[in-house]
Amino acid sequence: MDFAFTREQLMFKKEVIRFAKKEIVPRVQEHDLKEAFDFESFRKMGDFGLLGMHFPTEYGGEGADVVTTVLAGEALGEAGVDGGLTLAYGAHTFLCADTLFRNGTEAQRRRYIPKLASGEWIGCMGLSEPDAGSDVASMTTTAEKRGDRYVLNGTKMWITNGPIADVAVVYAKTDPEQAHAGISAFIVEKGTPGFSPGRPLIKMGVRSSQTSELVFQDCEIPAENLLGKEGEGFFYAMQTVEWDRSALLAPFVGATTYLLKKCADYARGRVQFGRPIGKFQAIKHKLADIRIFGEAARTLVYRIAWCKDQGKPLNHLEAAIAKLYVGDWSLAITNDAVTLHGGYGFTHEFDVERIFRDTRLAPIGGGTSEIQKMIISKLL
Amino acid sequence: MNFDFSATETAFFAELGSALRKLAQDRDLESGDLETVRGNLAAVLAALAPLGYLKIGASLPDPPVAGTLALMATMERLATVSPSLFLAVEMSTRLFGRALSLGEQTPAVEALAKQVAAGGIVGAVALSETAMNVENDPLTTVGTRKGDTVLISGAKNYVINGPLADCLAVVGCLEGGLAVFLVDRPSPGLKMTDRLTTMGYNGLAICGLELDGCPVPADRVIGPLDGETVLGQLKLWENQILIAAALGMLQSSFEAARDHAKTHRSGGKPIIAYQEVGFKLAEMLTLCQTAQLFAYRAAWMADDAPREANVLTLCAKVFCTEAAETVAGKALQILSGSGYLTGGPAEQAYRCAKYGQIAGISTEIARVKIGDAALGRL
Repeated sequence: MDFAFTREQLMFKKEVIRFAKKEIVPRVQEHDLKEAFDFESFRKMGDFGLLGMHFPTEYGGEGADVVTTVLAGEALGEAGVDGGLTLAYGAHTFLCADTLFRNGTEAQRRRYIPKLASGEWIGCMGLSEPDAGSDVASMTTTAEKRGDRYVLNGTKMWITNGPIADVAVVYAKTDPEQAHAGISAFIVEKGTPGFSPGRPLIKMGVRSSQTSELVFQDCEIPAENLLGKEGEGFFYAMQTVEWDRSALLAPFVGATTYLLKKCADYARGRVQFGRPIGKFQAIKHKLADIRIFGEAARTLVYRIAWCKDQGKPLNHLEAAIAKLYVGDWSLAITNDAVTLHGGYGFTHEFDVERIFRDTRLAPIGGGTSEIQKMIISKLL
Repeated sequence: MNFDFSATETAFFAELGSALRKLAQDRDLESGDLETVRGNLAAVLAALAPLGYLKIGASLPDPPVAGTLALMATMERLATVSPSLFLAVEMSTRLFGRALSLGEQTPAVEALAKQVAAGGIVGAVALSETAMNVENDPLTTVGTRKGDTVLISGAKNYVINGPLADCLAVVGCLEGGLAVFLVDRPSPGLKMTDRLTTMGYNGLAICGLELDGCPVPADRVIGPLDGETVLGQLKLWENQILIAAALGMLQSSFEAARDHAKTHRSGGKPIIAYQEVGFKLAEMLTLCQTAQLFAYRAAWMADDAPREANVLTLCAKVFCTEAAETVAGKALQILSGSGYLTGGPAEQAYRCAKYGQIAGISTEIARVKIGDAALGRL
């Protein structure tokens, strides 16, 4: 066993932090409070190479390995990038672009990956529905084959990047009689007649990410927009779990380091009873708990990433454990961080309240903690 | 980065596992009877010495596996078999044995180290005095030179293996620094207190010491050394042992609860099928695996980045020892009445786990130190 990053990986992480602090972080609060997507930062992330860094260079990527890709996510969180932008990045790069790359034809790859890797286009994934969240098999969106076209009908829900996406990977039933085996994946471009983003959703946290329904009303797409093979959609969706449990969790891990620094800075500067509050043991204990959580979470996340790099099949138990730990255990420390800041913590003066709101998604998004417990208990 | 053990390590763990299973077959490893404790310790040392187990981490040639991470994984395996026996072996081998390496290696000290690695003697480290927190309350045990000997006076508390030890490493002050005095048992001026009875670790022999002008030959005195360095090193090693102890408790109590939940039926189905039980097991396994990886990473860092290892070890110690109590408590709940019976792994772990949060550096002091590291100089 060896937990070391390479020198190059560590240098790259520093570069990402430097880039994010200069180019993204100054606008974080504005976009969070306005619930506005930061197109400028997103495009800059593309220019920097972050949006498709694990894709081969011939498709506009950097050819990076999984661990390095995950490290970039951690660096964004550590720099202070908000959960909204990192979620948008995750949905775009891993849930949409990676699914397209992994299962697409060469023509599909050539058409979409360079644009997604550069940030010229924004991608999203439509899987969940109002009545089909973790219970994917009960989805009701259908894709009926009519000649050389598919006709999509149904509504998707909780779609990150939904209102701003140029292209969506959409899952629909091609055989409604079947459960998982009846699900297929399709590529739907913005502007396709019958496709609209539906109503935007106002959220507690990750507010700079744009979330909406995706509505399909007799939406016709060419048959060549089928992604992969009919009936294999559920499998494609499950392929994203490895990224979901590594690259999408990594910003939370990074945010913990950021949070610790913010709390330590505040504890050094805030004087009560004639001394910095950092001198009080109770404050030190809170700082310690933030550090402990971050260190524990980091190793779980990189285990998933390293296994993926090695070509090992996803260990669903380990993936669920990483998600459950980061999701459930992050709540206490972000709550403590707000309390440590006292009244200021409850205001927008310090961004700990934003991190608290952003982190509240961790035990919900990508499969709730209850679903993770269900997975783990079934695998015992 | 690599999350797999090497083939050599995997083979050694398998060999060790087999030896430990054989050892545990017909012995009550948690018996509180002193003669049984003595017999168990002698048997396990005799079984582990040929495997090279006792050499790992002791700066001796030809250990079967090398490095603190491999040591952590090795210790974890014994800790899973018996909390008491584990602590007895490790306090002798890894704490006493490593304490011998703190200073100049005289022939007398080298000879002792070889005996420890061969399982020929049982060692104990006597550090704590009236308080377990030796940082806030400086040591009062003192050595005074007299010719070729040093006379030691003072009192020590909570000496694990004290009633069984052939040799005691007594930590005390000498000429402005700290020294480790290697005291044979029996020695003139050395008196052992009655054996202490404890909430957990029933199969462990613990006592206090009273030293009144106890003479130690000068070549069996390590030091004087810088006090902060000596205490820091001893605490780091002790914390590593306590982390491994916690991993063992996590594993054994989780397995007991899981096996029970899969076989015990209620309402016509195994109780694991109920979410109240299945979800609890999921939370327990999450803590087990997180603790294990955390412990491994802290151990790896002790070799790879020693300057950062102290704080990370404290982080791991807090996490693992608190997780051990949490998981043992949940295991007891799942095991229900059968778990409450004396002698089961969860019941033992529940009683033993608290020690890990108190000993070494307490979780409270550890958190203060971790907080200090985050704050820097105030």
